[in-house]
Amino acid sequence: MIETLLMGALLLGIMLLLLAGGVWIAMTLAIVGWVGQAFFTNTLPAKNLFSSFWESNASWELAALPLFIWMGEILFRTKLSEEMFEGLRPWLNRVPGRLMHTTIIGCGVFGSVSGSSAATCATIAKVALPELKRRGYDEKLAIGSLATAGTLGILIPPSITMVVYAVAADASIIRIFLAGFLPGFLLMLLFSGYIAWWSIRNPDKVPPADPPTTFGEKIRLSGNLIPCALLIVFIIWVLVAGWATATECAAFGVLGSLAIAAWGRSLSWQNFKDALMGATRTSCMIMFILAGAAFLTKTMAFTGIPRELAEWVDSMHLSPYALIGALVVVYLILGTALDGISMIVLTSAVVLPMIQKAGFDLIWFGIFIVLLVEIAEVTPPVGFNLFVLQNMTGKDSNVIAKAAIPFFFCLVVCIALITVFPSIVTSLPDLFMGSEK
Amino acid sequence: MRRFLDRLYDGAGALAAFCVFLIFVLMILAGVGRQMNWHVSGLNDVVAWLCAAAAFFAMAHAFRHGDFVRVTLLLDAVGPRVRRVLDVMCLLIASVAVAYLTYAATSFTWESYEFAEMATGLVVIPIWIPQSTFVIGCWLLLIAMVDELVGVVRGEKPSYQRAIEERHAAGDFSSDV
Repeated sequence: MIETLLMGALLLGIMLLLLAGGVWIAMTLAIVGWVGQAFFTNTLPAKNLFSSFWESNASWELAALPLFIWMGEILFRTKLSEEMFEGLRPWLNRVPGRLMHTTIIGCGVFGSVSGSSAATCATIAKVALPELKRRGYDEKLAIGSLATAGTLGILIPPSITMVVYAVAADASIIRIFLAGFLPGFLLMLLFSGYIAWWSIRNPDKVPPADPPTTFGEKIRLSGNLIPCALLIVFIIWVLVAGWATATECAAFGVLGSLAIAAWGRSLSWQNFKDALMGATRTSCMIMFILAGAAFLTKTMAFTGIPRELAEWVDSMHLSPYALIGALVVVYLILGTALDGISMIVLTSAVVLPMIQKAGFDLIWFGIFIVLLVEIAEVTPPVGFNLFVLQNMTGKDSNVIAKAAIPFFFCLVVCIALITVFPSIVTSLPDLFMGSEK
Repeated sequence: MRRFLDRLYDGAGALAAFCVFLIFVLMILAGVGRQMNWHVSGLNDVVAWLCAAAAFFAMAHAFRHGDFVRVTLLLDAVGPRVRRVLDVMCLLIASVAVAYLTYAATSFTWESYEFAEMATGLVVIPIWIPQSTFVIGCWLLLIAMVDELVGVVRGEKPSYQRAIEERHAAGDFSSDV
């Protein structure tokens, strides 16, 4: 047992060394997997390498990944960001915090059609940030809320991160998508609640309301959002009704986004080509990481490290809350240096057996880990949403991270809430798909 | 030579993009077809192979384009000279790793061909046909790796770094998850 754990520590050391040196993550995973198999097992690493790469990539379920990425890429290139701000604006005049809520709701709505947090953040910030600044809203609050609310892109389905987790954990993509809705709403409520509370406390920092509009005008201004709303309703309906598989749902999502782009007259050949090529590259990157991780997982299965580790953790008789607390700390540290996808793929081979042994639901854990990835996106020094806003505002990423601190705590509260009340996560999938055995 | 290589990577990337497009078309067909009671189950096998082909063909292009993620914490902290040394070391390690992957892909696909192994799904064709996308993709990635290594040793700025800087300067974050 001690030997196995020592071997695990050695492999971990090699991995950290390669990662820190800047070796590409997918290759690091495969190299560590090879070292483990070549030196500590009697298997043939080359044969296993071949079959892990082939089997993990030639997967019909994984085909949902390029399509969901493509869908987001298409919408990123439409006028949806202008339409979102204009469409949401007339409805928010009387809420404390007023137009500041466009950041949260805009990110939530865009998150329901996009699976990426950086794209959500960039799309909504592109218009909302200059408009809010021009009207005299507090810039710090706007930046903080955009950085954090952008991460709703990966919590509200469809979500690229969830597809990756579902593949890594061998869980149902649709189930975990359904599980994301309620925590997504909860998080939006927490964010908006904070904005309202802040605005009531600082009335002098909230600019006056826009002139009131009639109901008809409101509808007219929001009219451009109808296609987007239809797409959201369609995706939710497909997921809930069980009418199509996740991959088919993604294909129809692409079709819908192409229709939205055509309707807004932003579907040029150049845009189409850029979006498709971008989606191809991003999914290639993710699939390469998944393939490397599949090979590493095989190594882990041969060496028995995760089993020993799970038993070791089990033998400490931690309470479930203590285990979750420890994992939160581990992921917060990992999240400072790694991107979300790598974080999930890197740890799943070791952490998932541990979690299952401790009696946690894999779907629940998926949402938990997505929330932690969201935190990672806004923690320096490496947090992708920080880079996005740094690029858009020209402010230092540490300033942006500081502005995001109150919203960071909203995320922590959300994690605490789903830990204490797991049914926030599991009730929707149980309702529509029957409870899992 | 430079132009030929760049066209090779981009051409393979375009081919991969076409595979993604085909997945889209086939999945729409499958969704509609199931409602019409067509027999579409064989499509799933084809989509799986297209998915693999899309990933493998795009590798060299995505690598050159800076889409492969790495931890840049240390790289960004050190000066340009140390960074170059680190880049050369990373490229050396990665080249050896990719060479090994290429060897594995080539030899076991050859094995599938020699033993005339068939696909086990609904579409029964020799499995080496879809597997050959793996072999081609690996060789392209290996060429791109060595190409990059030669460039960096000569003192050029790595193309993956240049591509990321250009993309972010233009405000394009659509490729970051």
